[in-house]
Amino acid sequence: MKLKDIQRILEAEVLAGADLLDEDVVMACGSDLMSDVLSFAKSASLLLTGLINPQVVRTAEMADLAAICFVRGKKPEQETIRMAEAKNIPLLTTPLPMFESCGRLWRQGLPGCSEYEKRG
Amino acid sequence: MKLTELVQKLNLGVRSAKGSLERRITGGYASDLLSDVLAHSKEGDLWITLQIHHNIVAVASMKDLAGIVLVNGREPEQETIEKAETENIVIMVSELPTFELAGRLYGLGVRGMK
Amino acid sequence: MAPDSKISKIQELIYEISVGQVMKKNVVTVGPQTPMSQLRAILLEKRISGTPVVEEDKLVGIISLEDFIRWLADREHDCPISEKMSGNVRTLYADEPLTQAVNKFERFGFGRFPVIDRKNNKLLGIVTKGDIIEGLLKKLEIDYHQEEDVYRHRVTHFFEDILADKVVLLFQYDVVGHDFKRAGEGASRLKATLRRLGLDPQVIRRVAIATYEAEMNVIIYADGGKIRVRVEPMEIFIKVEDSGPGIPDVEKVLQPGYSTAPEWVRELGFGAGMGLNNILKCASKMDLRSVVGKGTQLYIRVSIEDGAKSETD
Repeated sequence: MKLKDIQRILEAEVLAGADLLDEDVVMACGSDLMSDVLSFAKSASLLLTGLINPQVVRTAEMADLAAICFVRGKKPEQETIRMAEAKNIPLLTTPLPMFESCGRLWRQGLPGCSEYEKRG
Repeated sequence: MKLTELVQKLNLGVRSAKGSLERRITGGYASDLLSDVLAHSKEGDLWITLQIHHNIVAVASMKDLAGIVLVNGREPEQETIEKAETENIVIMVSELPTFELAGRLYGLGVRGMK
Repeated sequence: MAPDSKISKIQELIYEISVGQVMKKNVVTVGPQTPMSQLRAILLEKRISGTPVVEEDKLVGIISLEDFIRWLADREHDCPISEKMSGNVRTLYADEPLTQAVNKFERFGFGRFPVIDRKNNKLLGIVTKGDIIEGLLKKLEIDYHQEEDVYRHRVTHFFEDILADKVVLLFQYDVVGHDFKRAGEGASRLKATLRRLGLDPQVIRRVAIATYEAEMNVIIYADGGKIRVRVEPMEIFIKVEDSGPGIPDVEKVLQPGYSTAPEWVRELGFGAGMGLNNILKCASKMDLRSVVGKGTQLYIRVSIEDGAKSETD
């Protein structure tokens, strides 16, 4: 699934990486605990989160995540957006809550990290 | 949909308040931030979280949530179970991560918004 | 700043600075059809001992004062430079890190390398050993203003060190305590440096995640600390040290989910008692030592042979 499909499904606004919307996202995870993301998320995943602090971008950088989508209409500070731009990490924000965002993407065929592994 | 059906369909483990499994859920809420759940969850929601701390019981009770599912194979602390029994809050566990569990619930017709 | 951290700074720089940043642009060039008889005047006038031969922006050879003297000595007739130049020139790409340049100077014993664009092979400049040292010094002067003489000594010294049989690289990053906003800067810089070294992405990911979690612990629980990283061909050692309050029960903090983090840390997405387990998952070996009232030392070893360990568990 391409990032622009995710943008459409989640009615999301692009905050950073508008030139990267053709990039592929192969799986997703939803979490507000960055240690959990660092532990379970796989490279090239989309992260859905309700957190907007700079450490979310750091986490994506460290774990080689494909993109971040903030839920419930949250937007980080400009400084955090600039950091994401500098690291080439696309940022999206959706008005939908976490549950609804996960549900819609999963139903459209985007697998979670544990499913992706099983598919091999 | 009743909690008992979900337990069966999604292969959830039940850790507390087995007597309250007849309750119907009216929606889903996924969050690991207690303040967020306090502010935005709705009565009757099934709450999906990674948090195992006993404070989750207080939050679920205060918001009158239908139940809690702990994801990624996490198990509640003993104190959390005891509190949940007293407050009559159903705690369930799943091996799935949040994204996948929310996806499957969505597939069963549970929605995250009205 | 302690002397050893200066060395590590220089070692880091030779991976961070590219050849293009230190090379001399505006290179004097000659065409392949230029007669040998004119070369002397060009070399003399520009006070150079050799020059690239360029045809339509592309490097086709290099001609040196030595070639010119040989031509003179053989008392040959005048001819185009193309007949006397060395073709098949060893070059450097502008985007290569200085470490590549240092290796090539050692391997081929040349005094200079033409620098070309990787995409179209166009000549962009020329680089000598002197340019490299000068470039490193300039960069250090930007970063540190004091004790210039010490740096000069260390830079030239290091230049010799890198030509050893075994190269061990040391990097050090300072961690400022309680500065949540800047948390992860050390791990981020380390990650960028390891990428330049060309390590396997999964190995880099493991090192980055383990270092980031360790850095976060220093920020949450201590007033600051240091991350020291030692890169060897098959292994990476990370030592994270703080002079914080220490851990009373090391066994207990290793249990998944155990945490003494304050609520504000939890609300920021950390402190759920998973950090050390995460590090353990990424590491080939981990050792935690702590003395209450004195501080904590965390040793992490990542073996390159373990590859994608953290993603396959």
